Amino acid sequence: MTTQRDKETVAPARYHLRLFVADDEPNSRQAKETLKRLCETCLKGNYTLEVVDVLEDYQAALENKILVAPTLIVLAPPPPITIIGSLSDTHKVLEALGLPASEKNL
Amino acid sequence: MTKNNVGGIPSGYEMRVALKKTPTYIQGLDNVLEGGLPTRRTTLIIGDPGSGKTVMSIEFLYRGALHGEPGIFLGFEESAATLRENALTLGWDLAALERDNRLFIMEGRLSPEAVISGKFSLKPMLAVISGKAKEMGARRIVLDALDVLLQLLFDDPAQVRAELHLLNHWLAESGLTAIMTLRPQQGASEATFQHFFHSIADCVIILDTRVLNQVSIRRLRVIKYRGSSFGRNEYPYVITETGIRTIPITVFELKHQPFGEEISSGIPRLDALLNGGYYRASCVLLAGEPGTGKTLLASTFVRQVCSQGEKVLYLSMEESPEALVRNVTSAGIDLEPFRKAGTLHFFGAMPEATGAEEHLLRLMSEVERIQPQHVVVDAISACERMGGKQAAFEFLMRLLNFLKERGITTIFTNQTSGSKAQLEISGNGISSMLDTVILISYVQGEGETNRVIQVLKSRGAGHSNQVREFIIRDDGLHIQDAYIGPSGVLTGTARRVQEARDAFEARRREAEIQAKFREIARLRAALETGTARFSTRLEAAEAELAELERERDIERAEREVRARARGEEVGDGAPPSQQESQSEVRR
Repeated sequence: MTTQRDKETVAPARYHLRLFVADDEPNSRQAKETLKRLCETCLKGNYTLEVVDVLEDYQAALENKILVAPTLIVLAPPPPITIIGSLSDTHKVLEALGLPASEKNL
Repeated sequence: MTKNNVGGIPSGYEMRVALKKTPTYIQGLDNVLEGGLPTRRTTLIIGDPGSGKTVMSIEFLYRGALHGEPGIFLGFEESAATLRENALTLGWDLAALERDNRLFIMEGRLSPEAVISGKFSLKPMLAVISGKAKEMGARRIVLDALDVLLQLLFDDPAQVRAELHLLNHWLAESGLTAIMTLRPQQGASEATFQHFFHSIADCVIILDTRVLNQVSIRRLRVIKYRGSSFGRNEYPYVITETGIRTIPITVFELKHQPFGEEISSGIPRLDALLNGGYYRASCVLLAGEPGTGKTLLASTFVRQVCSQGEKVLYLSMEESPEALVRNVTSAGIDLEPFRKAGTLHFFGAMPEATGAEEHLLRLMSEVERIQPQHVVVDAISACERMGGKQAAFEFLMRLLNFLKERGITTIFTNQTSGSKAQLEISGNGISSMLDTVILISYVQGEGETNRVIQVLKSRGAGHSNQVREFIIRDDGLHIQDAYIGPSGVLTGTARRVQEARDAFEARRREAEIQAKFREIARLRAALETGTARFSTRLEAAEAELAELERERDIERAEREVRARARGEEVGDGAPPSQQESQSEVRR
């Protein structure tokens, strides 16, 4: 068991992000744009990003217990993290993702 | 359009549509709301933690679901699991309703680790409940403790307002009958949305829990109901084993059943004083100092009606049912057979155990279950321990009203103390509701204490207000004529002494009369022998006899008047007369 888990963590961390938005309302649009930029600059080639429109698919929101939009769930690496809001405070987002904040990122 | 043009107002512009209401199916609440909550509109329930607002709103959904109106519960405070568990303690199987798609519980709680970065909106929440509502055909919705979410998420008043506008708009569009629960405003920071909540709600209910004399009391009040009238008082409510129960307004509507026929009190001589007995569906108060025999008097009645197969519910607040049954055997009253037969039910309750409302509602449930013809409350003086005089008064008024509406005879006992007995007789200020009042008191004299009984009030019937001696013997309760002499009521030994004294006096006078008769006879005989000087002595003796007889007749007449006033059978009364021999002599 222990050896198996060790092997997994040895493998390069891959970020799995799921962003819940409410159509194209301003906060959601801003979150989408900010997240894409951060991914490109910090996680290039090392992430998967899903964008779910809760107004289209309420079941997905229900399953993930999403009450507000935008909500970003970082499914991997574990443990899962929830970040809500337009992601305008990028310091907080990077901190939550465990990434160093630098001039380049912001 | 029509010719009915009243007061110059053009016709065709007036229309009155009664507001549609959705029953809550919560006991008593729909009476207060005069039908229920406003349909397709929002009702606000405001209450402190523990006031039962969640229970009330869950019950709204639970009972609605049972009546074919599916509902959604969106809780921002408790987890769905806790909610289901709590509901189960009230006998509500929410999980079963969820399986049948008649109820949907959504947890509106955010992970406490959630990071907030920037602005957001509640649109997903609304999207979820919209989708769910459509899917299950929901008619009702509860948003429980939305303020918790708002406080957690939004620190910008403008944003809160915007979200609430969004919510309000959504609710209006949804066509659901909604309840939102809130805590009372905690501080100035909440003023914004509290105010807004009030403005969007068509109906506002306040739940208030307060502690009075160490007993917690719950009160419900409707402060607003657009387009409808409603009960404006404060209504007590409790959370019973089966949900919320409020006590409706009918208290002062007086839909009481008229008195029925007379029923024996179990003591024939007391029935005579009452001009027949107690009345069915009336309220009888048995008042007296401790130990005067109120419980025995009530138990005598219980035995009387139970032996006729009628049912009695006995609320014993001063002793346990076992102790009561055992204690009344001292007066030869055996209640055990009735208890076993199921005609006599006891309701043992420690007054201080819960608030007055809870006692009342439990008692009401028992009455509904057992369907007794008679209820005994022993003693109403103990009701003050449920939370003070006011609580006792309300308890008794409401109970009495409830029983009178059902045509149930009510026997109250009330413990009075010493010289204030006359003032306390009315019992917690409920005197106007009492139909018959019987007072038992102690009288001191001749080195002993005796009991006297008196009917102070008997509505709907004439009654004797004479004082009688009340005797408790091991074969039951007895009522004796009390001697009423010049110095007042005499009982016990004093009565017997006075009666003996009277009898002696009557005998003495009778002897004197007989002596006079003999003297006259002698004088007549002497006269016949021709001695004229006896004629004056004869006249004198005849005059004396006439005077003695007159005195005796007056005394006898007075006795009869007193006896009649007390309702006794008037006959050849106390002094053992010698009428026969007397008349013989006269002849």
